[in-house]
Amino acid sequence: MFEAASLEERKRYYREEWKVDDLPEFITEELNKREFGFDHLGKGPNDRYKIFKNKDQLRKFLRYRSPFAAYCSVAFYNKPWKRGDWQKSELVFDVDAKDLPVRSCNCEGVCEICLNEALLIVKDILDTLKGDLGLKNIHVIYSGRGYHIRVLDPEIMQFDSDVRAQVLKYVSGAENPKNKYFLGPEQGQKPYELEHFTIPLGYPSVFTSRMKYVILHLTGEESIENVNPRLLKDVIKNRHLLEEDQWGLFKNKIGPIRYKKLVEGISKLNMGLIDAKVSIDLKRILRLPSSLHSKVSMRCMEVQNLEKFDPIKKAVPKFVLERKEV
Amino acid sequence: MVLLSFLNPFSEEAEQIVREKSSLEELFNKNKDLIDIIAHTNSQNISNDELIPHTLAELAVKRLEWFVRKKNDKKYDHNDYSFLMNPDMAIYDIISFYIAAQSIGIRFNPNSRESRVFIESQGQLVQERLEKLSTSLRKEVVAKLLNQLIPLDNISWTSLGELFGSRKINLTDLIIDQGEVILDKEDFIYRFSDKIIGRVPEKMYDILIGDQIKELIINRMIMQNTENYLLKVHEMASNIEAHPSLIVIADEISKMLKERTSIFSGSGDIQASKLVGEAFPPCIKNTIDGVSSGNRNDAIVLLLTSFISYARLYPSVFKNETNLKISDLDKGLKITNNEILPVIYEAAGRCTPPLFEDDPQEKLNITAKLGFGVHRVPDLNNEGESKWYTPMSCEKIKIHLPVLCKPDKDCKKISNPLSYYNRRKWIMNQSPDSKSPEEKDKSTKKED
Repeated sequence: MFEAASLEERKRYYREEWKVDDLPEFITEELNKREFGFDHLGKGPNDRYKIFKNKDQLRKFLRYRSPFAAYCSVAFYNKPWKRGDWQKSELVFDVDAKDLPVRSCNCEGVCEICLNEALLIVKDILDTLKGDLGLKNIHVIYSGRGYHIRVLDPEIMQFDSDVRAQVLKYVSGAENPKNKYFLGPEQGQKPYELEHFTIPLGYPSVFTSRMKYVILHLTGEESIENVNPRLLKDVIKNRHLLEEDQWGLFKNKIGPIRYKKLVEGISKLNMGLIDAKVSIDLKRILRLPSSLHSKVSMRCMEVQNLEKFDPIKKAVPKFVLERKEV
Repeated sequence: MVLLSFLNPFSEEAEQIVREKSSLEELFNKNKDLIDIIAHTNSQNISNDELIPHTLAELAVKRLEWFVRKKNDKKYDHNDYSFLMNPDMAIYDIISFYIAAQSIGIRFNPNSRESRVFIESQGQLVQERLEKLSTSLRKEVVAKLLNQLIPLDNISWTSLGELFGSRKINLTDLIIDQGEVILDKEDFIYRFSDKIIGRVPEKMYDILIGDQIKELIINRMIMQNTENYLLKVHEMASNIEAHPSLIVIADEISKMLKERTSIFSGSGDIQASKLVGEAFPPCIKNTIDGVSSGNRNDAIVLLLTSFISYARLYPSVFKNETNLKISDLDKGLKITNNEILPVIYEAAGRCTPPLFEDDPQEKLNITAKLGFGVHRVPDLNNEGESKWYTPMSCEKIKIHLPVLCKPDKDCKKISNPLSYYNRRKWIMNQSPDSKSPEEKDKSTKKED
């Protein structure tokens, strides 16, 4: 499992296993407006600016070339062959199990444990995207080494990188939450002090959820800005309190000044939960759902039921299973 | 309620006032009523005749002068401009808003210093005018203004996209539920009272939303509407011949800004000087060493171009908070052409693959980021067609170019590469042994 696929295996995959109908509808709907890119040698996508007028052209290409990796743009263009006349782009969140800043497995690449942890983060992000931000038309793709959340809600597809960066910070909990509030606009009044965990709504609540996830998954090996080894040790020692949301007690055990440092450190670390560059890049190409991730011999596929999805059962191509039998 | 139009020049009433009471022929006529209102404004300084605008044209210029002086002038006296807070001025204020907006829109680019100062001044005026009101009147006015600007009960956060994009407001500042920005108290209680335990929901509303978020949205929306209006005027100006009076006022505004900013730009402690490579932060050194594709374009065009230009010409930009153009600091563009562009172009050449071989149009983007529009080289005739981009913050670098961000011990103390540079240069200057090459140079020979 998770070994690279040979050229023979790639050919088998595209000729025997892959079907053009495996392409999700959100990809095929406006296929001719997307740019496609391919990696034929395993050295990165250097065959770019490809266009396909219809599904059949793409089918023939994939069957014939059996690329190492296939990608398509998150952007829609009127002139996709030169990435010209940009119309709109999907909003994407890339949660890569391999690059998570906190992983309880400490494996070299990816394994079932960190893939599961990536899935937990994806579920949290989805709750925020739908519950707080009210976004629709969201697709989750298992990428082979993690997950892509692809949002095709027309409300956000024309947003520029700056707005996307703000959404990214909101959903990942990457902004240090404020803890001083003013009751009214009058000047000179004393601020109200409220910690994020006492506010069960809005961004403070999102931050609390992400912070809880991070603390409960720390191994003690992490390097977090502003958090020295002793503080990290104390956080791990007292984290059982967070399992029952005893945040006040937890803060008392840590101490108010050190707690402030912890919050700052975790807000910075949270930026690493999602690959930020993918979210803000309007012209990114992203692994094509249904294609083969040849580095790990896994199928990149849309996840229909997040609760029941198990990549080991659903995304392993036949040739890998047969490899096992040999 | 004229007071509302005093705060929101885009209200229907304000537009009607402009239609009925303004005349381009009278802009330079002495207006006795205007002078009378100003002279009788509480606490207004009247000792010097120059403090009092006598015409609508002068009033239009004064609105911007107030803002620039308030921001930068240590001798600023609020009582010199008390009239700007006087609601009795509302009608003249609205007319002067449109005079200034049309003059600037016709003559200058939407990214010009003139445009940006005007937009910011309008935001500041709204804020200060609200602060002058009594608590109860302020609440009433805020509710009515919000109604004018957002006719629906709730707004979708996506409809505020422009405000987030221009960073006038942060998404995390708002309480959002199911895509809607929650502003109404009853709605807040209906949605969240079940979740709020151990606190009174009404109080929670006052703390988290109250009038402060509403005022923030009002302020930023008026700024955004001002920006959009300037853009509209600018686009229309290319098809319609402008009234000569507006051109005269535009030039007056520009002259005033130039005079004021040249006074204040020299007041910072950080003086412009030759580039000192040893003081560059790690992200800039990494960029200069060459960047591989994937990060290459952003590193050269977005990060390096703004950093090098500001480090060389205007290192105190964040301290001074005054918008300047490159030509304010480098009149003939000699430094830009001989010292700034070579550093950027050489770094572009060290990229893999070399930036301009792969993407020759990026040369145009570099010119644009220096404020000279989309052209191959900077030319004074094109200045203002685009904005002179300020250096990216460390936070932004971490999002856009995480591979270049390899912080050293000094990075902890700063939030922008330019601050790192200024700090390092200052430290280097403290020690005689570690003087910058430029300074060592100075001691042996004179600069040509």
